[in-house]
Amino acid sequence: MALRPVVVTGLGIICAAGRDPAEFWQRLTTGQGGLTPVEDEAFAVFTARHAGQVPDEWITGQLPGSDAALDRTARLALVAARQAVEMAGLTASGVGAERFGIILGKCQATPDAAGRYQPMHRTQDVVAERLGLRGPRILVSTACAAGGNAVGLAKDKILTGEADAVLAGGVDPLLFGTYAGFAGLQALSTGPCRPYSHSDGLNLGEGAAFLLLEPLELALARGAVPLAEVAGYGLSADAYHATAPDPTGRGGASAVRRALADAGLTPGDVQYVSGHGTGTPANDAMEAKVMRLVFGERAGQVPTSSIKSFVGHTLGAAGAVEAVASVLALRHATAPPTIGFDEDGQGRAGDLDFVPNVARPMPIGTVVSNNYAFGGNNVSLVLTTPGEPRPYEELPRREAVITGLGPVTGAGTGVAELTEAVLAGRHGAGWAPSLEGRTFAPRSLWRHMNHLSRLAIAASRLAWEDAGLKLPRKDLDDVALIFATGAGSAESTGGFDESIAVNPNKPAVLSFSNVVLNATGGAVCQTLGLRGPTTTICNGGASASIALDCALELIRSGKAEVVLVVAADETTGTAALDTDDLPVPSPYDSGAGGAVRGSAAVAFVVESAEHCAARDGRPYAVVLDTGHASGHAGSDADADADAVARSIARVSGGASGPVAGLVVGAADGTAGDGAEAAAVLAGAPGARLTASTALAGDCQAASGALNIALAALAVRDGVAPALTGLAAPRAGDLAAYVTKPGLDGPVERALALTAAPGSVRGAVLLGAL
Amino acid sequence: MASVLASAHPQETVYGQVGDATVPLRFSSLDEEYKVLRERAAVLDLGGHGLIEITGPDAVAFAQRVLARDVEYLTSDRCMMTLLLDADGQVVDQVLAFGREDGILLESSCGAGARLLAHLRANNDEGVEIADRSGDLTVLGLEGPYAWGVVGRLIDGELASLPFESVVDTTWNGADIVFARTGFTGEYGYQMIVPIEHAADLWRQSLEHAQAAGQEALELAMLEVRQPIPRHEVTEGATVVEIGANWLVDVTKDEFVGREAVLAAFEAGGGRRTVGFSGGDGVPAPGTRVWVNGQDIGEVVHAVHSVGLGATLGLARVDHDLAAAGLELTVGGTEVTTLTSPYIVPKSWSIPII
Repeated sequence: MALRPVVVTGLGIICAAGRDPAEFWQRLTTGQGGLTPVEDEAFAVFTARHAGQVPDEWITGQLPGSDAALDRTARLALVAARQAVEMAGLTASGVGAERFGIILGKCQATPDAAGRYQPMHRTQDVVAERLGLRGPRILVSTACAAGGNAVGLAKDKILTGEADAVLAGGVDPLLFGTYAGFAGLQALSTGPCRPYSHSDGLNLGEGAAFLLLEPLELALARGAVPLAEVAGYGLSADAYHATAPDPTGRGGASAVRRALADAGLTPGDVQYVSGHGTGTPANDAMEAKVMRLVFGERAGQVPTSSIKSFVGHTLGAAGAVEAVASVLALRHATAPPTIGFDEDGQGRAGDLDFVPNVARPMPIGTVVSNNYAFGGNNVSLVLTTPGEPRPYEELPRREAVITGLGPVTGAGTGVAELTEAVLAGRHGAGWAPSLEGRTFAPRSLWRHMNHLSRLAIAASRLAWEDAGLKLPRKDLDDVALIFATGAGSAESTGGFDESIAVNPNKPAVLSFSNVVLNATGGAVCQTLGLRGPTTTICNGGASASIALDCALELIRSGKAEVVLVVAADETTGTAALDTDDLPVPSPYDSGAGGAVRGSAAVAFVVESAEHCAARDGRPYAVVLDTGHASGHAGSDADADADAVARSIARVSGGASGPVAGLVVGAADGTAGDGAEAAAVLAGAPGARLTASTALAGDCQAASGALNIALAALAVRDGVAPALTGLAAPRAGDLAAYVTKPGLDGPVERALALTAAPGSVRGAVLLGAL
Repeated sequence: MASVLASAHPQETVYGQVGDATVPLRFSSLDEEYKVLRERAAVLDLGGHGLIEITGPDAVAFAQRVLARDVEYLTSDRCMMTLLLDADGQVVDQVLAFGREDGILLESSCGAGARLLAHLRANNDEGVEIADRSGDLTVLGLEGPYAWGVVGRLIDGELASLPFESVVDTTWNGADIVFARTGFTGEYGYQMIVPIEHAADLWRQSLEHAQAAGQEALELAMLEVRQPIPRHEVTEGATVVEIGANWLVDVTKDEFVGREAVLAAFEAGGGRRTVGFSGGDGVPAPGTRVWVNGQDIGEVVHAVHSVGLGATLGLARVDHDLAAAGLELTVGGTEVTTLTSPYIVPKSWSIPII
């Protein structure tokens, strides 16, 4: 089956080896690296000093004055994003703002202009706003694989028909803490890194890169020049270790094989491989194995090089930086070299061709670009010379069902406890979830896990058991895992930052390995042995519904039959309080006292209806539709209500009649609840409205997943939480709300809402079977 | 019980009785086989290791109760070494436990299959299926600094760099085999559990890339890295703490047979501990008294001539406060020195798999 061809029509890049694509390519092909000693004196405490830095004037010289006050991450991203849009000759007004999306890869939580952490998705919101993009918006944070992953997800958004143009890329700045963490892991080279030969460590770098993706026929119709086709991509999980790659290379090989299968190509079609090539011994040795596993006897005839030897490791941007280089390699029929290559180096794999030191003109029709990340996340992209326009089929619609739920919340752990809490009208907002009474993982792993990973593993295990899935090892190799989190582990981030503040040369390295947002997803894969496609979504409270979208896309494209979605977030704020002292939030109430933050993990199993039926599974509900709408950062309640309304309209398809019998809203007990309620009452007339935050508090991504789980429970079991404290709704009559525990019976349809206010609003419509 | 590979072994093979099994002690000479194992790659006939399969709905619960480490989530791609204890905390056997899709597979130590089987059956409160698979499966091992190269040539290069204690179900010449990265000697080590009808072929093909080593060379190399050899080290009344096998027991588990006795031994402290020693003339017999300053502090557990050290190497079980490295002790009238393990640094530690 040939799917719609998707092409790259614009490129943007700013990194240590160039301020735009032309300069970048000129330096790559003439061997001019950009790794220099770090100028910032604060870094003088470290033995290793080299990094790939972007000169300030490269940024300021390309931005209007109105962007000057933005933080460095946003400015880097804006430079590259504008270049890509300009090269493509496309504007949001031309393509239609609602049809123009952005998928951004980012590894680090980055500071705002004042130095405070900002939400992971903030940079993306800024870029979207400045460029007027109101289409699909996903922040993917699979650490060092994020940039490549973003390009793949962008292709999916075009294949599903949700967007006609998507900016896909990555960004990360050079941060002191991250530098200290890598130094603490002894992973930094003391000079410019020398991948594949000396392999004595990496250099960090900063930068941003974007590729503009659009459908081939639309690009040609508007006279654009397709630069490369995004023929396929593949994701995989090592399920091996938090930071070290699986030494067999099977995780990396599986990503390449999936990408080639997605592209309908074979290893024999590949002319050049853009390697991950960090320069660490573990990475470089593993990559040599990937080459041999994938290409077999031909491995030595497929040149592979690492442009990290020019720009350093730009983390979340790396995959996008290398994808840009790969597109340029295709365009110019030249493989960029690995510079600093020591042809007599001890660590060199003599049987492979690393394009040492000098760029090589050669025919290139197909490039594979690989990235490997902490958490054991791997991504491969296949880029090819653009083909002619050709007939294609739409991505098939495959019915997907929710077959297992794993709630781990303050109100209860597991479906039985949660149901009991719901029926009893109990509140657990801000309460710590209990993991007592049973084990969820081998003790040898459990004792090294941080709190968030334990919550997520427990939730995943419970959902898996609830689904009644018993799969043999070989099937687990194809089970996908999508992790959703707003902020990752507060415990590890806090512990790591504290250690750096005390002594940057004594970082808490165990915490560091858990600072990456996808660490918890990696821990779930490792514990459950899942090696299928995996990714991590960080769009605040809307992460879970976006993760569900990713799961549905995997099922529709036949890349997975079973997908575990797990969302987890934690707060350290209420841990010290006695639970009796915690206020009970009262969502939608005009007298509500505000939100109560909580910790929770909620997992659910999404399965193709076919797979579920074949094994006689008992689904909760069928996923009828999902919809997302982008808002405006810092916008007012009206704009937010508008985003809610648009997300609901997307799932209801504009049909008249009741959208759903029940709506589990994202209200948290703050003033914004009124706008959501009004939008729901207008968009889903006749539905009764409730929310999960009285039950479990505001748990960001996990609250979104809990709403989806509660909607599934309402559909199958007729259970829904009550807003027992609701006296005077901010919108509508009391009769429009669920105020007593339980429902009269199962509802035919239930709608779950998710919210990253000011950024993305999500709606998930579930139905009875 | 004779090795199923006996007909494939060379005529000059010297056999010996180890527990319930007749095993090849050496095929040529100990020195030669030891050197192969430490410097190149050795093929091992591990047919003396019994294979017992536990299946049924409560297989994992049963295994979790009788094994001393946590196997609740031991998936079919993992194996681990652990102990089985009796209610008094005495070691019944040291096994490799393989997670399987439908239960768990236990590989006994050499010559201990029958005892393990009897123990499992006697403790089968859960009513699980316990099947002796030694009649249709056998175990071959590869051990040595270049054993990974043999794996690549013999089966699949991808398997060579499997993480320690990883297991893959694969095929060899059309036969289903269980392949595991294990290791007894500190060198790269692998095991293949194969149907007996294919064992001789696999043995012969392995010998095209490696040389055979017998039980003597294997046990010497095990001792040199302080890998426990239960048939030598488990003595009447010795606790797991005294044997030095605590690492094969997980007391954080809520319950397993022998747990209370192990906890009591931990809490009691005192008693004896096992320590390595080298030196002296000749090889002292087990039970030889160990003295310091004219005081009897314990006894020799096991001793051999180490080819690698070119000297006597043994284990002594002595008063806990004297079980430390660098002490001069008197064993059978001659002076020996206590050691820290490993007593030989395996070559594999400095050779990467490529």
